[in-house]
Amino acid sequence: MNFSDLLKNDYIILDGAMGTMIQKSGLKLGEIPETLNLTHPEMIKDIHRGYVDVGTQIVCANTFGANGYKLKDSGYTVEEIIKAGIKNAKDAVGDKALVALDIGPIGQLLEPAGSMSFDTAYDYFKEEILAGADADVIFFETMTDLLEVKAGVLAARENSNKPILVSMTFEENMRTFAGVSVASAALTLEGLGVNALGVNCSLGPDELAPIVKEFTKWTNLPIIVKPNAGLPDPNSNTYNVKPKDFSESLSKIIDFGTVKLVGGCCGTTPEYIKALKEVVENKKYTIAEIKKDTSVCSGTTVVEINQPRVIGERINPTGKKLFKEALINNDIDYILSQAISQVNAGADILDVNVGLPEIDEKEMMVRVIKALQSVVDVPLQIDSTKPDVLEAALRIYNGKPIVNSVNGEEKSLNTVLPLVKKYGASVIGLVLDEDGIPKTAEGRFNIAKKIVDRAKAVGIPAKDVYIDCLTLTVSAQQEGCIETLKALHKVKTELGCKTCLGVSNISFGLPNRPLINHIFLTMALEEGLDLPIINPNDGDMMGAVRAYKVLSNIDKNSKDFISFYNEAKPETPKISCSHITLSDAIINGLKNEAATLTQKALENKDAMEIVNGELIPALDRVGADFEQNKIFLPQLIQSANVAQVCFEEIKKHLTKTNNTPVSKGKIILATVKGDIHDIGKNIVKVLLDNYGYTVVDLGRDVAPELIVETAIKQDIKLIGLSALMTTTLKSMEDTIALARKTPELQNPDGSSKCIFFVGGAVLTKDYAMKIGADYYCKDAKESVDTAKKVFGA
Amino acid sequence: MIKLKEINRAEALRYIGGSKVEMNENMDALLTSCEKEILEVAAVKYLYKKIPLNDSKLLIGNSIKEHLKGCGEAILICATIGNAVDKLIRTASVTDMSKAVVLDAMASTAVEQACGMLDEIISQENPDKFLTWRFSPGYGDYPIELQSKFLQILDAPRKIGLCTNENSILTPTKSVTAIMGLSDSPIEKRRKGCASCNLKKTCKFRKSGERCEF
Repeated sequence: MNFSDLLKNDYIILDGAMGTMIQKSGLKLGEIPETLNLTHPEMIKDIHRGYVDVGTQIVCANTFGANGYKLKDSGYTVEEIIKAGIKNAKDAVGDKALVALDIGPIGQLLEPAGSMSFDTAYDYFKEEILAGADADVIFFETMTDLLEVKAGVLAARENSNKPILVSMTFEENMRTFAGVSVASAALTLEGLGVNALGVNCSLGPDELAPIVKEFTKWTNLPIIVKPNAGLPDPNSNTYNVKPKDFSESLSKIIDFGTVKLVGGCCGTTPEYIKALKEVVENKKYTIAEIKKDTSVCSGTTVVEINQPRVIGERINPTGKKLFKEALINNDIDYILSQAISQVNAGADILDVNVGLPEIDEKEMMVRVIKALQSVVDVPLQIDSTKPDVLEAALRIYNGKPIVNSVNGEEKSLNTVLPLVKKYGASVIGLVLDEDGIPKTAEGRFNIAKKIVDRAKAVGIPAKDVYIDCLTLTVSAQQEGCIETLKALHKVKTELGCKTCLGVSNISFGLPNRPLINHIFLTMALEEGLDLPIINPNDGDMMGAVRAYKVLSNIDKNSKDFISFYNEAKPETPKISCSHITLSDAIINGLKNEAATLTQKALENKDAMEIVNGELIPALDRVGADFEQNKIFLPQLIQSANVAQVCFEEIKKHLTKTNNTPVSKGKIILATVKGDIHDIGKNIVKVLLDNYGYTVVDLGRDVAPELIVETAIKQDIKLIGLSALMTTTLKSMEDTIALARKTPELQNPDGSSKCIFFVGGAVLTKDYAMKIGADYYCKDAKESVDTAKKVFGA
Repeated sequence: MIKLKEINRAEALRYIGGSKVEMNENMDALLTSCEKEILEVAAVKYLYKKIPLNDSKLLIGNSIKEHLKGCGEAILICATIGNAVDKLIRTASVTDMSKAVVLDAMASTAVEQACGMLDEIISQENPDKFLTWRFSPGYGDYPIELQSKFLQILDAPRKIGLCTNENSILTPTKSVTAIMGLSDSPIEKRRKGCASCNLKKTCKFRKSGERCEF
């Protein structure tokens, strides 16, 4: 008997709780219940037998918490505990049931909420999976973070060929602790090729009903349901739903359709499973109909492509000087701010392209995707021409992304489509091949058809291929526009695929480009464009999409349109700035005024004169006010932000006049390895930025190696480190020590090139000196003073 | 079930400048909008469990023994206001640091308030007992590494999604673990205060002549 044999049954009966049974047996659960596999094997076997005797067809071995992180102080290895656990289960059930390697969450949070990396999680799971080689199936249970599950599923697929079952734990608000929605879980896990998915724990069967209902709307895979026996009484730790009620409630849930694997979680015993078996015995398995269109998602947010959805194009260095500079300087915050502004402007999905010859694209792509996932909720479109970059990003992406792109060339089809399939993404198909872009609509349609057929052949559904019929520049090939639109229409109606288009290429070389872009977008939408790739910060382009949705009866009662345009804030009136000085504007936090005043000043003053004569003295005054408790910290930061606007103006001016942008020196900032508190470091950054220093912000939880490598590569001598906890001061010490002994960071006489300034709540000056720092800074203001000392004011 | 209705402004202000700074209209508006955003996303979750005081693994160092003097049993607690708050602060850190520091201060205050409400619940459930104040790993010589032990005993990772990383940092970050002693007789008032605080050497409040509520 194997899992596919079991699937032929209408229903598969799982087991009930392990912990509840251990407690009933009178044994203390102890800190690590899995050690009972070795200390009390007979008791564990009895529990398994109890379930098989009432009809359980898959038992979960007692291995839920048997991972390297939880077992590290147990005195046992993962292999010992898991092997014993599987053996106990096998011995107990014989050939009456299958045995699942039961895997729970590792026990610490993944980045960005915590500091465990995806690869570390993968390695923990891999160790469990290798140890559990004797099990019949792998069952991930009680998971709350979709990215952690993904690490587990990949570890399972890459290190075994067993069926994979995944069940996550949702709260009554239909989300997990990590904010994962049911739809995101279903789309992502189905894409990753799991064999069954569903929900267990946290709630009783009645409370789980709406969650299961939601699952049936998004997947046709067999759904797993393992409720608790109701809700626990906090004092007695008993549960309030009896076996009969439990099974009757589950019976109603089964009637939703698609639910196939049923069992119990906390508080359930063989009695519950017995009752459950009785109610499913006379039922026929049905599958609920799915009405959802192709969708993509992040861990928290699903975007169904059932109407035009905007893909923001701004995370891309092509033709953007500041963006290129940000990539070279590792300025992730700049990229994040581009992301947030697009989302605020209404982008549904963000394209992410960080390809630049000067940088390691793969490393940067992974960093940027991780960072984006920590601040935005929209799904991402991973954009690269390199398969290894695509794969690295696909691995750590939390959700179901779009891959941009595959095309009709053999090489592309053979390398990209398998990745899309393995990681369960959607993909953009460009209608070009070895012979370039066909001139006619017919030719482009044929390539589209080939891409869709080849996708289907590797198991990617046609609905997950989004065809890009390619926009040509109308000033060069005027007849091309009509062919693009014809091809788009044909693909949409005859292949049934979704379509996308990069829109703004159309107008290259013409005056009044926005007008052409905007009309072309409208024409394309009318032909059936689903995914315009545009700049969402362009109000006219977004307006065209919003208006189209009203006119084509998508935006019912014009609700979104009205709410957007009625609630839109009126533009800030331009204030006459004659009565205030630049210094006043900075001190009072007036951004718009400061920008205008800076522009004016630049007409007849040298940039450095403005910086040193006005910006810096104003900032100094604000700093002094803060020290004397005259203003709050946010006010100090506001002034710094206004100064930043002034610096941006100066930068723009210098870039235009081809002068090198003004910088008073480069500084690395990082919150050290293991520490995830970065608010203090960020405050320091704002201040340093606005005193005209170039800050290379490496973020939080930064490995000493990355700091040293960056210092070498970018030739930076001043390094600021922050640590908030006594436990992470050690990382600070390690970082300084590593830099001191790195030959590339030493002067010919053996002295260190690097100057370290350090800060953080628990740090004292003495300690700072003890670990080899050069300066101790008690606050952000002192960091600026230190920079002044080092670079000379 | 604990639901926060408002955040103690005076408390939050202490993190970002203290009571001596003069309030103005802009700051007031910023505080109001940040308070609203935190209250919208904060999801208070907590666990507590009565334990006998015979587990030597939990009684490490002098501070905790001093703190629990005269207590026969204790209550372990943990509480968090959730992941969404961390994300809110992270996002603000990219777009507007001044907002981020206010959110951060508000969030720290919020989790402290939630603990205060939990104190109430616990003392109502133990009407005939006397409770010490909350003592957390990291106070005095009480090792911060015990946080993960607390969470394990409370089954916090599974029940409320509260974990630590390998450096004993709680995640979500706006969270608390603590122990409170339970005694049958009134507890001698051992004042919380600067003397038992690890930050006494670097504390900004102390330098400016203020005090936090510790």
